[in-house]
Amino acid sequence: MNIEWILSNYGVLLPEAVLTLFAFAIILIGLKYRSILGYLAFVGGVVSLGLVIMNFSVNATLLYNSLVFDPLSQFFKVVFLLVTLLTIIASLRYYHGNAHQGEYYFLLLIATVGMMFVASANDLVSLFVAFELGSIATYVLAAFDKENPRSIEAGFKYFMIGALSSAILLLGMSLIYGITGTTNFTALSQMSFEMSGYTLAALVLIIAGLGFKMALVPFHMWAPDTYQGAPTVVSAMLAAGSKKMGFVAAFKLIVLALIALRTEWYMVFAVIAVITMTYGNLVALTQRSLKRMLAYSSIAQAGYIAMALVVVSYTHVDSVVNLAMGGALFYILSHAFMKGGAFLAVGTVGYMLLRDKIKVDEDDIDNFSGLSKTAPITAFSLTVFLFALAGIPLTAGFVSKLLIFSAAIYGGLAWLAVIAILNSALSLFYYARVVKVMYWDKPKFDLKGEPTAYVVAVLLALLGTVLLGVYPGPFVDVAMKVAEVFL
Amino acid sequence: MIPVMYVLALAMTVFAIGVFGMVSARSGIRMMMSIELMLNSANINLVAFSNYHDDISGQVFALFSIALAAAEAVVGFAILLMIFRHKGAINVDTINILRW
Repeated sequence: MNIEWILSNYGVLLPEAVLTLFAFAIILIGLKYRSILGYLAFVGGVVSLGLVIMNFSVNATLLYNSLVFDPLSQFFKVVFLLVTLLTIIASLRYYHGNAHQGEYYFLLLIATVGMMFVASANDLVSLFVAFELGSIATYVLAAFDKENPRSIEAGFKYFMIGALSSAILLLGMSLIYGITGTTNFTALSQMSFEMSGYTLAALVLIIAGLGFKMALVPFHMWAPDTYQGAPTVVSAMLAAGSKKMGFVAAFKLIVLALIALRTEWYMVFAVIAVITMTYGNLVALTQRSLKRMLAYSSIAQAGYIAMALVVVSYTHVDSVVNLAMGGALFYILSHAFMKGGAFLAVGTVGYMLLRDKIKVDEDDIDNFSGLSKTAPITAFSLTVFLFALAGIPLTAGFVSKLLIFSAAIYGGLAWLAVIAILNSALSLFYYARVVKVMYWDKPKFDLKGEPTAYVVAVLLALLGTVLLGVYPGPFVDVAMKVAEVFL
Repeated sequence: MIPVMYVLALAMTVFAIGVFGMVSARSGIRMMMSIELMLNSANINLVAFSNYHDDISGQVFALFSIALAAAEAVVGFAILLMIFRHKGAINVDTINILRW
């Protein structure tokens, strides 16, 4: 057993292996040299991202078919790594000089490894283990600022609801195993189920378990509290990255593995999607805390993405299924940039207030008044992100909404598309309010200079948002190609 | 051999007790115990079905999930400890800064 044999058989695991190695190296090096840890984590993320992109069109299974490496898994790994890299860049400033940096970057990288394994899972066991790895690390991250009661409360609520949801998910998985006698997705997808009380219970439990992670209404109650209370860099990672872990698990379990069951369920998904987007947008209207508003808008966005599940379970036309899933994947990629960027821009302001020793609630909307004068780059970027989230043309949000809504119309669900479009119009109201405060109101605080690390992270997210909106062609092609896995 | 239905009924009872505990508990420790109950009800299921199908993978799954439950409990108690340091209590009613 030599190096070449290992590389030729397990080479597809290199991105995860590199990230794990860097994580443990960070813990060790952090005992002595704290100042380089963030850069080390960044290098690890970049190397891992490079390896994933090099291996993008791979098609392999590992460990008795319990892990699969196909364009779908690689696509999600790219999304997770991009979000992690943005978070690391901003954290370079936020956690600069913090005594516990080593643990922070370790947990960040390990959470990413867990999410990447969820994207590769092809078996109930590997899915559950990876899901827990990705979740447990983020519980700690949410509670990381342990001097801040809000952060602890965020971590506590996230942990309790997260643990409850994984227990529910595990029970659903155990029922699936009991009905079929197999845990492998490939074997499950070839099985024909008959609808009975057991399959019903299993599906309800699985939808509930994953719905918590995706923050779909009625399983959303942890999300606003956690996103508001957690350190803003972590909120960016949770909303833009960790949430996608729920989506990839749902796509794999419901669309790929339980293919025989999904057709009966379109109405359930439709109701969940409609309630999720409407509730998220309505409650976001009244928020004064910007982080909380973004959390509710994130819930609404999850509703739009969940429309893909509705279309896929309603129609059997290959081209429509491809359009819906490709649209969902493109939405997930652009949502990572838009939402990650928006949270980081809000974090920039929070950090500047903290640095200039101004004692206010870090994310109150009043802090943003006149931001275009005191922090022009942040204000402009936040404007673009908010318009992208609302779906204004020339941003990534417009293209992704166009794809998903047209999939709904082609699939014969025009009413769903109409509700979604009305919701987008509604959401523009609360996004525009923030823009108005930033550009037309008088500055409230005299903030001095934007922190470089934050600006770099925000500008990178801005680049992604605009690029996907102005020149979407190749990215849409990639998403469509990846979505062929679902046919 | 005990019919699988009986074991399933046991597991569901344990799960229901866990859900009830989760909803009604005021103490963080009780909530942790309820979560353990719920996870263990799934483990009972997995082992029973493994026996029923004469297939070992269910028991492997149960082993993994026991290990994960332990890891989860560590993180949970660490967070509870921080709450105790801040508030001097782990009563859930005191955790109420964040709300709409």
